[in-house]
Amino acid sequence: MSQVIAREDLSRWLNSLMEERTVVVPVVVGDMVFFRPVAKAEDMTISRGNATLGPKGCLFPLSHTMFTVEQEDGDVRVIPSSLEREMVVFGLRPCDAQGLAVFDLPMLAEPADQYYRERREKTALVGLACAEACAECFCTSTGGGPHDARYMDVMLSEVPQGYLVQAVTEKGKKLLAKAPLKDMAVQAPTPPDVPRVPTDGIVAAMRRTFADKYWSRLADRCIHCNICSYVCPTCYCFDIRDYQQDGKTHRVRSWESCQAPGFTKIAGGHDPRADKGSRMRQRFAHKLLYFPEEFNNVLGCTGCGRCVRYCPVNIDIREIISDVQKIGGG
Amino acid sequence: MQDKIRAKARELLETGTVDCVIGYERATDGLTARPVFIYGTAGVDRLVFDQTCVHNLSKFLLDRRDKRTAIVAKPCDSRAINLLINEGQLARDKVYIIGVVCQGMPEVSWNRVSKEPQERCQRCPQRVPVVYDYLVGEPVEALPVTFSDVEQMENAGPAERRGFWLEQFGRCIRCHACRQACPGCYCSECFVDQLDPTWVGIRKDVTDNEMWNTIRAFHLAGRCISCNECERVCPVSIPLSLLNRKLEKDVGEFFDFQAGIKAETVPPFATFKKDEHLKGVE
Amino acid sequence: MSPEGALLPYVATLRDVRKLTPDVKLFSLELDDPAARERFSYKPGQFAFVSAFGVGEAPFGITSVSYRQDGVEFAVRKVGTVTAALHELEPGAKLGVRGPYGNHFPLEEYRGKDIYIIGGGIGMAPLRPVINTLVDHRGDYGRLVVLNGARTPQDLVFSDEFERWAQSPNTRVELTVDRGDEKWKGRVALIPAVVAELAFSPQNAVTIICGPPIMIKFTLVELKKLRFADDQIVTTLEAKMKCGLGKCARCNVGDKYVCKHGPVFTFAQISGFIEQY
Repeated sequence: MSQVIAREDLSRWLNSLMEERTVVVPVVVGDMVFFRPVAKAEDMTISRGNATLGPKGCLFPLSHTMFTVEQEDGDVRVIPSSLEREMVVFGLRPCDAQGLAVFDLPMLAEPADQYYRERREKTALVGLACAEACAECFCTSTGGGPHDARYMDVMLSEVPQGYLVQAVTEKGKKLLAKAPLKDMAVQAPTPPDVPRVPTDGIVAAMRRTFADKYWSRLADRCIHCNICSYVCPTCYCFDIRDYQQDGKTHRVRSWESCQAPGFTKIAGGHDPRADKGSRMRQRFAHKLLYFPEEFNNVLGCTGCGRCVRYCPVNIDIREIISDVQKIGGG
Repeated sequence: MQDKIRAKARELLETGTVDCVIGYERATDGLTARPVFIYGTAGVDRLVFDQTCVHNLSKFLLDRRDKRTAIVAKPCDSRAINLLINEGQLARDKVYIIGVVCQGMPEVSWNRVSKEPQERCQRCPQRVPVVYDYLVGEPVEALPVTFSDVEQMENAGPAERRGFWLEQFGRCIRCHACRQACPGCYCSECFVDQLDPTWVGIRKDVTDNEMWNTIRAFHLAGRCISCNECERVCPVSIPLSLLNRKLEKDVGEFFDFQAGIKAETVPPFATFKKDEHLKGVE
Repeated sequence: MSPEGALLPYVATLRDVRKLTPDVKLFSLELDDPAARERFSYKPGQFAFVSAFGVGEAPFGITSVSYRQDGVEFAVRKVGTVTAALHELEPGAKLGVRGPYGNHFPLEEYRGKDIYIIGGGIGMAPLRPVINTLVDHRGDYGRLVVLNGARTPQDLVFSDEFERWAQSPNTRVELTVDRGDEKWKGRVALIPAVVAELAFSPQNAVTIICGPPIMIKFTLVELKKLRFADDQIVTTLEAKMKCGLGKCARCNVGDKYVCKHGPVFTFAQISGFIEQY
């Protein structure tokens, strides 16, 4: 016996969660899909593919004030920000949830990042299994899969009767407490085939190709637009700057990309990664070499394919993995 | 066209006229194109040219200022080359321009090619490159220029316009891809990255985003050559061309000037004449 | 450490500002919260982020010695936006301090050895606490030579401490400038040339070097000629940093984070870096 929620009951359930939580769902904007908080769940869309930008911004905001500094009569107070309400993110795919699991590794390592940790603890993830793979995704080559429920709190899979519901964690069970679920004999859908990319042994191959001029040739066509880092579910580089507003200092953290020129430039003028090739190499070395070496062979890529879809000059991580295996093949 | 480009590239590399040919090759989707740098005759057969070659390659010339480079340039791209030469960023004798006549390009993105040509191609005033060393393709007539998209926005009331743009800028994620793709944006330190003074900060709220996009448009006034790369690369589909075209229309009206048509003509905002008056302004 | 998971700085008061050279000032800070003062203990080589609230934050090597005072000192060269803002501050001003971060010079491993300290310009800032610790525990170490170079005599950063150091037993202070002035009677030579001239012996020795990359590069050549092994040459690296915790993924040289695995590295380690510094 499985538990199923009918399509028409889904919005009702999400709306009931809104009494105490912010509910973030995929929303159509023009020909794009973004994860946004909504006032009514009927505004959501359940599309075939994956959203333009993932829900990474819910736990690691595009920009936010970490703390304010207020000075009054020589007395200085540093006031950290905090998340008021709990959050539910609905409709994310396994690759994006796996992206958050990848995020956890550096962010929650001691000393844990408080802002990320608070959001992570207060957020529940209700995922949607993929009925089909995109032309560019490759999650099964990065330790995941289109029906992988491991990183969700609740996992939904589309079936003719509505959605098969799986409570994965205690948090998920609590979330479903008042959900209008029906017991039914339903067969779990078969996961779609996902194209494969040769990631076996990529870490060692990356180490062997590190000094190759492949990277500088690849970087020829890179325009350092930063899009790859911004659409990536696992990229976590950030910038910190101060703002003065309303008599207070806001220390703001925002996304930044290692591809941006000047990312590593010091005030004195020295820049260890001034050339395009070393910046290009940094991106792939971080994801496919440094990260797995530091974090127990977990790749810094979950195969979501967004960088492939949005790179204006077709720098394709799948092609790079293939090339690196050829050049650095053991 | 493709064969002629390959033949010319081969010749230029063999004779040592250039060290590199910047053109297009097939992308990994097997359908569209991507930029390619060919350094030796062995790579020449990678070059392709078809309706998916929408990228403006001219900015890559700035990475190779001191080296002799050949480049495949569509008419809009060739205007960018003129702009860069005019502004002292490129030496004309270091660039060999393989100009390509253009009948219009479709909307192209990963694994997708539209059936209709791009809206801007339907009103393109240059379908033959304005500067070239070698021309590929038979000349075609220019199309009538129209600014109807800009006029439509001009005729909308201030509240409607403001609402429209704030919604667009609300989506901006400040990736700065528009700047990176734009051949007119090559400042070694962009105003948006400056700390002292901080013109626009890193905070991604709509007022900061508005400042970023509008100031960039102003910095391109009289310089934008309408290649549309900014809008093509924007991951959140902000209609950036509309902003630039408004300024293009105004510059055309006030100064009777279009950027990049001739390498010698200095853009209006780079000149100062004591006795100059704006048309229709006292 | 400060509540660093939230990247919150301790609030500190600027107690004293002293101009050391035309573009370097010595800042003495005291953390306001007594509990924070207790917690903020540091070793030579570590760094901290100093905030000029409203302008920004930047990492600086700590130039004081923990056991000598309650406060903490930084030698700041005016070279960018944050340093310019700091240079405007007067005693009594409030700043932020976050840290201490990074590893430290393993002075325990240098006991009984001869120590050659080579500092160029503002590179003396992280070396000063090393020198002061060695001078205060003189008996634990062998010969001590401090070679300090700068562009001009005015740019020698800790000139008021040279005499105290030189008076310490078995200690020499050698100075050199790139350009002298009318009053300068000392050496006029680049540091690498002075290293060749002084010809230190690598026997049971360690050399700690800090300064502009170009100075380090050429001094290394001379040290290798004198047969110093890579693990006998120690330095502290500079990098653009934002978090100091190894989380913002910016200061890495290959797989090593300057903030977490450094900033103190031996040349043996640096040569082993997969990415060139």
